Amino acid sequence: MAATDQVMSEIQGRVRERVRAELVRHGASSALEDPALFADIDALLRAAIERSQPSALLLPELLGDPSTWRLDTAITYRSHRGAAAAPIVFVKQRVLMPLLRWLYEFSRDNFERQRRINQVLFACVQELAIETARLRRELQLSGRPVDRS
Amino acid sequence: MHCRQLAKRLSSHHDVTVLTTCARDYVTWQNAFPAGESVEDGVRVHRFPVAHSRNLKAFADLSDEVFDDAGAAPEREQEWFRANGPDAPALLEHLRVRGALYDLILFWAFRYAPSYFGLPLVADRAILVPTAEDDPAIHLGVLPDYFARAAGYLFLTPEEETLVSTRAGRPLRPARVIGIGLEPERDLHPSREVLDRLGLPPQFVLYLGRVDRNKGCATLLEYFQEYIAEGGRTTLVLAGPSTLEIPAHPNIRALGYVADEVRHALFAHAAALIVPSPYESLSIVLLEAWNHGTPALVNADCKVLQGQVRRANGGLYYRSSREFQETLSWLLAHETERRALGAHGLAYVDREYRWPRMLARVEELLEEVSRRRSTAPA
Repeated sequence: MAATDQVMSEIQGRVRERVRAELVRHGASSALEDPALFADIDALLRAAIERSQPSALLLPELLGDPSTWRLDTAITYRSHRGAAAAPIVFVKQRVLMPLLRWLYEFSRDNFERQRRINQVLFACVQELAIETARLRRELQLSGRPVDRS
Repeated sequence: MHCRQLAKRLSSHHDVTVLTTCARDYVTWQNAFPAGESVEDGVRVHRFPVAHSRNLKAFADLSDEVFDDAGAAPEREQEWFRANGPDAPALLEHLRVRGALYDLILFWAFRYAPSYFGLPLVADRAILVPTAEDDPAIHLGVLPDYFARAAGYLFLTPEEETLVSTRAGRPLRPARVIGIGLEPERDLHPSREVLDRLGLPPQFVLYLGRVDRNKGCATLLEYFQEYIAEGGRTTLVLAGPSTLEIPAHPNIRALGYVADEVRHALFAHAAALIVPSPYESLSIVLLEAWNHGTPALVNADCKVLQGQVRRANGGLYYRSSREFQETLSWLLAHETERRALGAHGLAYVDREYRWPRMLARVEELLEEVSRRRSTAPA
């Protein structure tokens, strides 16, 4: 009797093995020759992706002022030219923007993708930091020296 | 449609009034129906005029602003709900002045202005049906307070309940997961004749709905062409109006909008339904396919779709092009197992999504909220 979880487990195992073989063939680390280790790495990275929503990430907190690193994808119409600001903003919003909308939307879509990748990379680094911290703690508890250099 | 059917069925046991707008088009919100009271399908309907149509460019720019990671001021987020519309001030005024005359008020879809601005006006008797998806709107900063204000909640799936409760910061009670109501298909084995007239091959996989980038169709077309390039041998049939340029490919057939008879035959004779959407609060089309005993292949990035398929044992899911190829190949190569998955899907619909079961859950919640209200201190 077909069961979704069972079939998916078989298929995901097969896909993982295909990916692993291709990575090794293209010169990836020899560590990936071990299918069991590869499965662990795959699971760890998948878990990181699952937890990549911005509110669950530590790195943005540590990076400091968001204006120095965060991708700004929205256009805000401003001018610093005092009394002339209103007509300048009007021209930007009503004349230039309609002309440039296609370019803006193309750029914005790409920035959105970059933002998504940044979040996933933040999540992966966070997951690796958690694993490292756990391993250090286990080593300390086992009485073996931990090199912090 | 779901809201309309529920109102109609509830009206056999309750005195139901539908408060809505004069709009027909959910994109522009242009007034199309006359304002005032009428009776439709035996249900009293009170329509209120929309003050102005939606300005799509201004709405897109405001969406960019409020969905930016940096967040936006609460006033700008509220402005987003107003811009999303439909902006019906008379409807809100009706709730403000006459809301207390209703025992309970169900608000359908949190993202629209009447629900967002109307619910707080009658929060003590408001039941929210959020129809929430894990899209950028759910992360707006003003929502946790809003979600916590209703007197009761009706969710479409367990995943939606988790999503909205997480945003509210606590379990939302009282609540029921109700899904939707579906009638059993009268004919599970309709003739293939209408499909033959369209020149469709004996074996095909089906996408049914709007062919749109936001529905994951661009990725589906990409993955499917990769599947064919790798030696896959089936046809993808797209049934629905398209906003995408569909590639001229011998294995892709775009039918555009189809009549009910064709739709029924497509569901019944497809090897599988593909649901590529990354955002769904339920996916009625998935339940319709199962209602015909047809298995599904869904986008695993959508937790609701993956959750539904796993609960039903009614299909497979994919997260990448490789998984798409493997899962589709498996479904097409294992006919007995594929039919079994479809049968599981049908059994799931029989178990969870028939009208009596769904209405019983709704009635339970209505009773519980009413009971709480009657025993609450004045």
